[in-house]
Amino acid sequence: MSDTFVQLSDVTLMYGKSVAVPDLDLSIREGELICLLGPSGCGKTTTMRAIAGLLDPASGSIHIDGRDVTRVPANKRGIGLVFQSYALFPHLNAFENVAFGLRLQKLPEAEIRERTEAGLATVGLTGYDKRKPAEMSGGQQQRLALARSLVMKPKVLLLDEPLSNLDARLRLEMRTELQRVQKETGVTMVFVTHDQAEALALADRIVLMKEGKIEQLGTPADLYARPETAFAAEFMGFENIFRVEGTKAVTDSGALELGFAPASPLLAWRPDGVSVGSGPHQGRVLATSFAGAHREYVLDTALGPVKADAAIELPEVAIGETLSFDLPEATARPLSA
Amino acid sequence: MFRNTREGLALALPAAIFSTLLFLVPVGILLSEAFRFEGGWSLQGYIDFFATPLNRTVFLRTLKLGALVAGTAAVIGYAAAFCIVNLEPKSRGTVFGMIVLPLMISPVARTYAWIVILGRTGIVNETITGLGLSDTPLRLLFTETAVFLGLLQLFLPLMIISLVSAMENIPRDVIPAARVLGASWLAVFFKVILPLTKEGLVIGGTLVFTGSLTAYITPAILGGSKVLMLETLLYQRVNVSNDFVSASVIAMILIVMSFSANLLLKKIASARS
Amino acid sequence: MNTSSRLLANWVILGLTLTFLIGPFLIIILAGASDTSYLAFPPEGLTLKWYLKVFTVESFRASFLLSMALAVFGTLAALLLGVPAAYALNRYALPGAETIRTIVAAPIIVPGIIVGLALLRYLVVPTGVTVTLALFMAHTALVLPYAVRVVSSSMHNLRADMEEAAVLLGCSRLQAFTKVVLPNIRGGVLAAFILGFVTSFNQVPVSLFLSGPGVRTLPIDMLAYMEITFDPSVAALSALLAFMSLAIVFVAERLLGFSRYV
Repeated sequence: MSDTFVQLSDVTLMYGKSVAVPDLDLSIREGELICLLGPSGCGKTTTMRAIAGLLDPASGSIHIDGRDVTRVPANKRGIGLVFQSYALFPHLNAFENVAFGLRLQKLPEAEIRERTEAGLATVGLTGYDKRKPAEMSGGQQQRLALARSLVMKPKVLLLDEPLSNLDARLRLEMRTELQRVQKETGVTMVFVTHDQAEALALADRIVLMKEGKIEQLGTPADLYARPETAFAAEFMGFENIFRVEGTKAVTDSGALELGFAPASPLLAWRPDGVSVGSGPHQGRVLATSFAGAHREYVLDTALGPVKADAAIELPEVAIGETLSFDLPEATARPLSA
Repeated sequence: MFRNTREGLALALPAAIFSTLLFLVPVGILLSEAFRFEGGWSLQGYIDFFATPLNRTVFLRTLKLGALVAGTAAVIGYAAAFCIVNLEPKSRGTVFGMIVLPLMISPVARTYAWIVILGRTGIVNETITGLGLSDTPLRLLFTETAVFLGLLQLFLPLMIISLVSAMENIPRDVIPAARVLGASWLAVFFKVILPLTKEGLVIGGTLVFTGSLTAYITPAILGGSKVLMLETLLYQRVNVSNDFVSASVIAMILIVMSFSANLLLKKIASARS
Repeated sequence: MNTSSRLLANWVILGLTLTFLIGPFLIIILAGASDTSYLAFPPEGLTLKWYLKVFTVESFRASFLLSMALAVFGTLAALLLGVPAAYALNRYALPGAETIRTIVAAPIIVPGIIVGLALLRYLVVPTGVTVTLALFMAHTALVLPYAVRVVSSSMHNLRADMEEAAVLLGCSRLQAFTKVVLPNIRGGVLAAFILGFVTSFNQVPVSLFLSGPGVRTLPIDMLAYMEITFDPSVAALSALLAFMSLAIVFVAERLLGFSRYV
């Protein structure tokens, strides 16, 4: 691959005496926004820290822009990192926070001023120069942290769950903001998150990680539509996952005749892939809730609980009553074991 | 980045080594002196120490005065702390500051004032002779009362501080609620305030008690050789009779008491968090 | 009880307590101004001669300078040892961190008189270290626990990722410390210095045994002077020292809200 910009080869990362990430291979392209996605403890933050140089790999190598940086200390790597807590300097005002790195490079004062002001402008903080971080809102602090990294013109910008400390509305706003900044600057971004909706919305490609290993790598559309493992499927909202035996779906509670013979050992359906109102199977309604465009049901079936979304036009079925449903072949997603 | 243990130890160890060499080692040797006897190890030093009536008197007096000072400080402390908590925030800060300030002033200066008050030509005696209550001045200095007053003045602020911070944590409406339910003020104190400030009382009490135990200046100035306490006895034993075994025994007593008091405090602190 | 009588009772109790705690200082201030050759209160005639005499007593001058030097340099040395230790104890997952903490805090638990005696007998006597040096080291060790504690508590809120951010912006580890950590714990370091200075300056028990010909800290010198002379100069000196402490604490409080560190 000619456009590989960041290359991790056989990287093993230790956390004290235990292996956090074994033998990781990952290549990131120039200018892309890649998401490291996974539950906490999956190694995504550890991987990001290794790219930044805050954590030395026990083995393997890291190349950035064609150069081996495995042994290059963090302050010489030219990588930006936006921390989950923002890690702003409380004793400095917004201007000095952004100018911090430029001052270390001993640039002429005029250039520092110009680049700092441009940086503040990029994130919409013009006029806030004199504010201390403590006098700014969460969203503003977030923008400031972003500007502080961006003015350094980093080769790669790493973002560690940068939106997790914001409220829901601000989070959506900052998502678009991040995409805009990335388009404008063209910087390669590595975004760490445990929120799949965030990853799907933002990323060019998603790296789904589990227990230090890459579970699946692909575009959001790819991952959303075609998860390959039970873990990936669950993360992408396939809430009904069953084992297959012959033409039956099987769980520990029981079995259900599917009427077709799948080739894969596992099958998964999203709630909206389960058809409700008609079909060969019966389920007792355990719970129901209104979700705007559809109604969500949890059905007690031979397979145990099944989650199903019903079209809003269908009459509501009360808890305790039975509802017929089907697990159609058309919406089934085959998974490897 | 902070996983480099060697780097961390390089930063922390100088302080620890300094404290070990200058504190633990010399103090350890001193403590061991009382156990050395005719070339071997024994408890003879302790047996001899407690066989001397004067030593027993001083030991018991130190405990008694420590307990008395702590107890009195608790009584005054509760009254003062309750009043402070009831003040409006602005004057509360000022009064609290005035209570803390004496802690920053030299204990020599703080104790010396009592000579002016209790001395032969001090305020109390001037008043007594002036009123014709007595022809000759009373001997007020070099009495247990003098030492008691000096220690109380020295350590009362610690008790008040502990109790104030304990009382500030009492939920606002608990006391009015108890009153509404028909509790007398006495009942409010014993059933509500005391249980809720027990921790502060123990912390303050420990600080005052160990402070009194290990104070040197106050018993030296106000008690002299007439009212010896453990610290002044230690000084006398070393300087007058070169008796290092007694010094070692006293050191052990003081350290054990101070150490157990600190353990108690630590336990309270960890139980709270 | 109605509100106004409760308020009155409140202030009566506080007034009595404060009189007990602070009254004695007012008394020594006046006693030091008594125009008598012995201590007298109320003062008989007012004079400043005892306040002035304090400055002419040769031994007071020498011991004041010694106490000053011990307090300043002892505290600086304690900070030099204590700040890195506090930093390391906060930042690194050190093996035996609890032990290190206990060892460094030990000087608070051990009564000073024992430390002084132990140092005299097992450091000064066998090694021939001068009493002044022993005093300096004793005062350093005495202040060390305060330095570590106060600096630790001001470092507690300082997250480690701030330093990582500084490093990623191009700082060396040392620069990250001086440019990011130090400015944010400046208040704590200053508070530790003041607390250490006052503690060291007022310290008696440690210095009790550590005195030699011409080497005496001021409080010890005052104790010695009191045994010989009963003139009001010690009262005057006590008053002056009280004023000095108050001034230091007052300035510190104004500058950095000192009391939140004590």
